[in-house]
Amino acid sequence: MTSTNRKCSALTGSSRKTKDNAADWFNLMLRWNRLNDEGFNVAANIVNSKRSVYSTEPPLVVTSAGVSDSAPLQDDCRTLQDVVDKMVTIVTKMERLTASQSGVRALDDFRTQGEGHLFHGWSLTLYVSEVATATLLVDFRQELRLKQTILQEVAHTVTSDLGLVLLSGWLHQPFITDRTRLTVEALLMETGLRPL
Amino acid sequence: MSKLALSSLHQALQRSFASVDSSQKLWLGVLADCSPLMVSLGNLAEQAIALNNVQLSNTPLRDFPDLEDRLRFKLLQAIDTVLNRIHEKMSSLQSIRDTVTNQVSAVLRLYQQNAEDLDLHTVTQRSAVTPSVADMLEWLQDAERHYRQQFLKRKTLLHMLKADDLSLLEAAPKTWKSLESPSANEQITDTLCKVSFFMESR
Repeated sequence: MTSTNRKCSALTGSSRKTKDNAADWFNLMLRWNRLNDEGFNVAANIVNSKRSVYSTEPPLVVTSAGVSDSAPLQDDCRTLQDVVDKMVTIVTKMERLTASQSGVRALDDFRTQGEGHLFHGWSLTLYVSEVATATLLVDFRQELRLKQTILQEVAHTVTSDLGLVLLSGWLHQPFITDRTRLTVEALLMETGLRPL
Repeated sequence: MSKLALSSLHQALQRSFASVDSSQKLWLGVLADCSPLMVSLGNLAEQAIALNNVQLSNTPLRDFPDLEDRLRFKLLQAIDTVLNRIHEKMSSLQSIRDTVTNQVSAVLRLYQQNAEDLDLHTVTQRSAVTPSVADMLEWLQDAERHYRQQFLKRKTLLHMLKADDLSLLEAAPKTWKSLESPSANEQITDTLCKVSFFMESR
C-alpha cells in the first residue's frame, strides 16, 4: 500500500512523515505476523521431535512442514534463532519509527510555538500518532521478549505440557492484542491511508 | 383417475429424490467443513489444559506475570471464534434438513390426498425401472429421519460444549466423529441408486 499512495499524494513535511510512518508500521506488522507463522512451524517441529525422543506419545501439533523422526534439532533451533533475529530487526525499526514520530511532533510544537495551529485537528493527529506508536512499541517489545524466552526454552523443555504452553504462547502472541491491531488501524485511518 | 393421481405422485417423488440427492451432497460438504473446525477446537482445549497444568511461576516464563491471563484470554477468544463458526455450519445443516423435511412431507400430503384413488395394488406395483410407490415413500421417510436425527445429535453435542468445560472440548473432535453414521449414508446412496432409472424416466 505504500508506493502508490506515496506517489499520488502531495503531502510534505510533518504530514508526509506521519503518513509514511503509519504505512511503515502496517508493513512491519505484516512482516512480523509472517515471521510468527514461520517461527511457529519450526518451534512445533522442535517440540515434536523432543517429544518423540522422550516418549511414544503422538506429536502435539502436526505442521505443514511435517515431522521427521531424526529431525536435526540443531538446524531447527538455528532457523528459529534466525526468525527471532529478524523480529529483533523489526522491533529496532519500530523503535526508530517511534523516535521519528515524536521528533516530528516536537518539531511541529517548536515551529508553531505561540502562533497557534493552522488546523486545530493537526496537532492532535500528531499527538495521537506519537502516543499510538509508543503503545505499539511497548506491545511489540514485550512480545519480542517472550519470543526470546521461548527460543531459549523450547529445545530444553522436559514436560510436554510446558512444551505445549510455549508453542501456544508463540502462536497466540499474548502481548499483541486486539488493541494493538486497532491502534494500527487507527493510525492508518487518521493519516488517510485507510479510507473511512 | 388413479392413473392421473399416480403420475402426479411420481412427479412429486422424482422432485423429492432430486432434492435428497442435492441435499446429501451439501450435507456431506458441510460436515467435511466441520471436522477441521472440531479438530482445532480440540487443539485449543488441549492448549488451555496444558496452561492449567503448568505452574508458570516455576518456569522461565515467570518473567511475564500477566502472561497466563493473557494467553488464557487469547485461547478462550479463539475457542469462541471456532464455536461460532461451527454454529454457522449448524444453521446450514438445519436448512438442509428443513428442505428435505418440507419436500418429503409435501409428497406424503399428496399421497394422503389421493389415497382413495390409489388402491393397494397400484401402490405396491413395481417394474424393472420403477420401484413401488410404497417403497419410495418409505425410503424418503428414512432419509428424512436420518437428517433429523443427525442434526439433533450434533446440535445436542454443540449445546453441551462450553468454553470453560475443557475436557469436553478436548474430546469434542472424537465425539463429533462418533456421531457419523456410515450405514445411513450408505443407505441414502443405495436409495438414490435404486431410483436412478425412475429419476430418468420422464
